[in-house]
Amino acid sequence: MFGTATPLERGLIIIGFLCLLVLPFVITNPYHIHTATMIVYFAFMAASWNFVCGYLGQLSLGHSVFSGVAGYVTVLMFTQLGISPWIGMLFGGLLAAVLSVAIGSLTFRLKGPYFTLTTIAFAEIMRIWFENTDNFIGIPLKGSEGLVVPLVGDSWWAFQFNDKTPYYYIALGLLLMIVLATIMLEKSKLGYYLKAIRGDQDGAEALGINPTKYSLIALSISAFFTGIGGAFFAQFFRYINPERNMGIDMSIDMAIMAIIGGQGTVLGPILGAFILHPIAEITRTTLGGSFLGLHLVIYGTVLALTVLYFPQGIIVPLRRILARISGRAKK
Amino acid sequence: MSAPLLKIDGISKRFGGNQAVKETSFHVDSGEILGLIGPNGAGKTTAFNMIAGYLESDTGDIQLNEKSIKGKKPWDICKAGIARTFQLSKPFGDLSVLENIMVGGFVRSADRRIIETKAREVVVFLGMEAIIDQDALNLTAFDRRKLELGRALATEPKLLLMDEVVAGATPNEASEMVELVKNIRDRGVSILIVEHVMHVIMNLSDRVIVLDSGNLIADGNPEEVVNDPEVMKAYFGEKYVQQQST
Repeated sequence: MFGTATPLERGLIIIGFLCLLVLPFVITNPYHIHTATMIVYFAFMAASWNFVCGYLGQLSLGHSVFSGVAGYVTVLMFTQLGISPWIGMLFGGLLAAVLSVAIGSLTFRLKGPYFTLTTIAFAEIMRIWFENTDNFIGIPLKGSEGLVVPLVGDSWWAFQFNDKTPYYYIALGLLLMIVLATIMLEKSKLGYYLKAIRGDQDGAEALGINPTKYSLIALSISAFFTGIGGAFFAQFFRYINPERNMGIDMSIDMAIMAIIGGQGTVLGPILGAFILHPIAEITRTTLGGSFLGLHLVIYGTVLALTVLYFPQGIIVPLRRILARISGRAKK
Repeated sequence: MSAPLLKIDGISKRFGGNQAVKETSFHVDSGEILGLIGPNGAGKTTAFNMIAGYLESDTGDIQLNEKSIKGKKPWDICKAGIARTFQLSKPFGDLSVLENIMVGGFVRSADRRIIETKAREVVVFLGMEAIIDQDALNLTAFDRRKLELGRALATEPKLLLMDEVVAGATPNEASEMVELVKNIRDRGVSILIVEHVMHVIMNLSDRVIVLDSGNLIADGNPEEVVNDPEVMKAYFGEKYVQQQST
């Protein structure tokens, strides 16, 4: 999508990124920085989901399993072995990628709703297993209680900061990474192949494409990034439990943000996160106390409206408007 | 005599109680356009799918350049040098005409620039320059067919399997397609074509084979085959053949 971006779009993207870059200098309230970090984090997660599901056109609702497993690996390596979470994060991501190949080689035989249901099943099996396992061959998982990352204090090595700002910049760095990875995907053989499989699987096979092989490659990359995100999440809250890091809510958030924003595009999922998370946050904080559950109604209404009127995601009409503006500017 | 490019040796396929193809043998010579005809349900598409690797033959063997390709997967058969088109062409959405054709090129090269240059040549060959950057989903039915042909050509096949390429085309489009197929053969690609439109088959084929209820009932040049009593019987029934002979 960068390749076809108009100068106006390119300008807006750069301005948007610069705004994100200087944001912590403008807003100083820790709550706002915290919310901004969560928005960027969700954008990263939605974009990681999009890396395989958006381009392949398959709806996975089990991606949280990668986030959870990698999060646990990171925390356990730190608490049990004293290994820096930065290294644990990479290990966690790699383990998530390996796990994704195991799950994917079973689930990619299925299409459509059957694929979706099996991804949910795998993620839920893992979550329930984690919730009910206190100790696995000597590894203390502590079940549903979850694990706390011991406080070390301000330290890059321990991935712990007293201030929220470093977390924000780490999340922003991750987001930049997935954007670059997705741009590379679009230009690569893998990107072409995923779109071909999405368009017509039989037709793709006739052109020398082994659908399972390329789906698994993309899934493992996506799982790696999702795992990195899960590790970040655990470090950010210094706490991990199966419900939050591995639950289906997170999978649904990733998928919905990508779909609403525009799946199968570089910036769509990010746009989705920047629209949906603030809505969720604002409705929750302003209405959550007085009208219990009303924030979910509003959130649901926004979702229903976008799916009805912009089935390909908000990015499509947005780009059309921008194209019209830049067209008018030329005349 | 040199060995044929594609040698089909006694392939069969049974779906439950239905013997779709029965111990059928034929071959495709290098540089030849071979027409495969037969009434509905004769097993043409099944035979096609067995050659292209979408179905595995219950018996016999399939050889390309004297190497067995039986039981291989479609993508490996494509790499071996057999490309195919489908009865129903579905372009890959969110990719332009050029990019659709490039998808086929990745199987022969990893260099994007080479693939793009070759894909552009294919676009020119197909006469689709005017719509090269259009999203493939916006094409007309006939352009979709041409695009599918282009994708197949981008894999640089030795043998091209074409399934009903002029179905639903206007007479003008059909003759354009006939010319295209001839040009493809002149580029050194052998062709096995399944077609219902008789004048297309008569026009194109060097040789025609006829399948009926899973059996090969005729093999010869187009004029011979259409006058073969067995073939007439398969298409028009016993009574018609008797009337003709009296």
